Amino acid sequence: MKKSIVRASVLMLVGSVFLVAGGYNAQAEKDRKALVQYMEKKFSDPAKNKAMFFPYATDEDINKHLKKGVKFEEFRLGSYAIDKGGRDQYEEIKEMPPYEDNIDAGEELYKKYAFFKKCFPDPAIAGEYPKFDDKSGKVVTLTRAINQCLVANGEKPWKMTKGKIADLEAYFAAKSAEAGKKVNIQINSKAAADAYERGKKEYYSQRGYLKLSCANCHVQGSGNRVRREYLSPLLGHTTHFPVYRLKWQGLGTLERRIKGCEKNQGENPHKPSSDWTAEMLYFMSYMSNGLPVDGPDVRR
Amino acid sequence: MQRIKLLAMASVLTVALSVSVSAGNADLVKEGEKIFNTKKIGNCLACHAVNGKKINNPGNLGPKLQGLSAWPEQALYDKVYDPYATNPISAMPPFGKNGVLDDHQIKAVVAYLKTIN
Ligand code: HEC
Ligand code: HEC
Repeated sequence: MKKSIVRASVLMLVGSVFLVAGGYNAQAEKDRKALVQYMEKKFSDPAKNKAMFFPYATDEDINKHLKKGVKFEEFRLGSYAIDKGGRDQYEEIKEMPPYEDNIDAGEELYKKYAFFKKCFPDPAIAGEYPKFDDKSGKVVTLTRAINQCLVANGEKPWKMTKGKIADLEAYFAAKSAEAGKKVNIQINSKAAADAYERGKKEYYSQRGYLKLSCANCHVQGSGNRVRREYLSPLLGHTTHFPVYRLKWQGLGTLERRIKGCEKNQGENPHKPSSDWTAEMLYFMSYMSNGLPVDGPDVRR
Repeated sequence: MQRIKLLAMASVLTVALSVSVSAGNADLVKEGEKIFNTKKIGNCLACHAVNGKKINNPGNLGPKLQGLSAWPEQALYDKVYDPYATNPISAMPPFGKNGVLDDHQIKAVVAYLKTIN
């Protein structure tokens, strides 16, 4: 009798030590590994896995267009990791990247506002955001962090989707890529884990009058087409922002990209400054943990 | 007498009905095809290729549509109105239930779907 009580309390101790030592990301880690496994399997051999993953694709779609044996690190390339034709075009554009001036403009901003050095002493931080701030109980995206820094230093916040904020983020991303940084999102408290779970729930919820979830298109749907557009996998979605989109003829933040996809769902987009957007990005970014940061990048 | 009158009336009505359907049918099909292929309305081509019709870059998130001429109209109507009714995990949006397409528009789409072999 006594023995078993002792044993139970030892077990409880072990359990709580484990939690304190950083077990708050246990569920997220499980989700992430499952996603990596799913995507690696799906794109290991699309022809072999057709019935399971691409039920409506033709043989031509699969044999001519989809890449085989996609490696973990390649998923940072979004749809270009999986679509042969898109990849060729992408590599051509990358020879004369359209975002070089933006990186320079971002560096200028970093120097012009001296306080940025205090808020962000090391500019190679793109892979560490979003962070969870235990004091405010909120997820802080890089975009939010930049605005908080501006406001704390008596400036007005910047527009969160494009313009100066995207330029500064391009500089941070380029510095991070140069330094060989990887995506490294932390979940270190119960409140942080709760925020992650809320983001995940939204990602998998059907929304808008079209009743589509993000996962319909970017998990199950990845590798299939909407019109001619190959749908990119959730894995690797956040590694390369900000992105220069040919459609935008300019640079945009993750906040801007998500707004566009909410419209794809037939939804009135949430505000880029909302907790909804921040928590969604927290979940999405965690899913890309371990991938190299390689922004800024270019997309159709 | 009363009965004959009723019968006569009924047959006049039937004739009128069937005439109006076949006269309007070509227009209805055309309207449905337009809804099918227009991004801001039905946008069905985002997900579906169609057997025997030339469509500019259709997607493949949904199956290539074929053999629909053999489907009962009601079944097609129901599919477009609310695909969850027959397939609870469908990735197809419920166009009627969510008010994206109204009753008349769905009927037009169905008329077009009925031309798909
Ligand atoms: C109807 C289909 C559809 C839905 C639903 C959808 N998307 Fe997308 N999404 C696309 C298409 C098409 C693209 C452009 C091609 C690509 O990169 O996948 C895209 C691109 C993206 C990208 C950019 C990827 C890159 O590498 O640059 C992100 C991030 C993204 N979507 C996030 C989301 C989120 C978050 C949601 C839900 C709020 C969502 N999407 C819902 C169709 C969809
Ligand atoms: C976002 C993707 C998407 C869009 C947009 C879409 N569908 Fe679908 N559709 C699907 C999927 C996935 C299926 C297969 C699963 C099912 O039957 O529910 C399907 C199935 C069907 C079927 C049954 C085909 C068969 O052989 O069983 C019909 C008919 C159909 N869709 C018609 C339409 C029409 C008409 C529209 C536009 C008004 C439309 N779809 C828009 C995804 C889509």
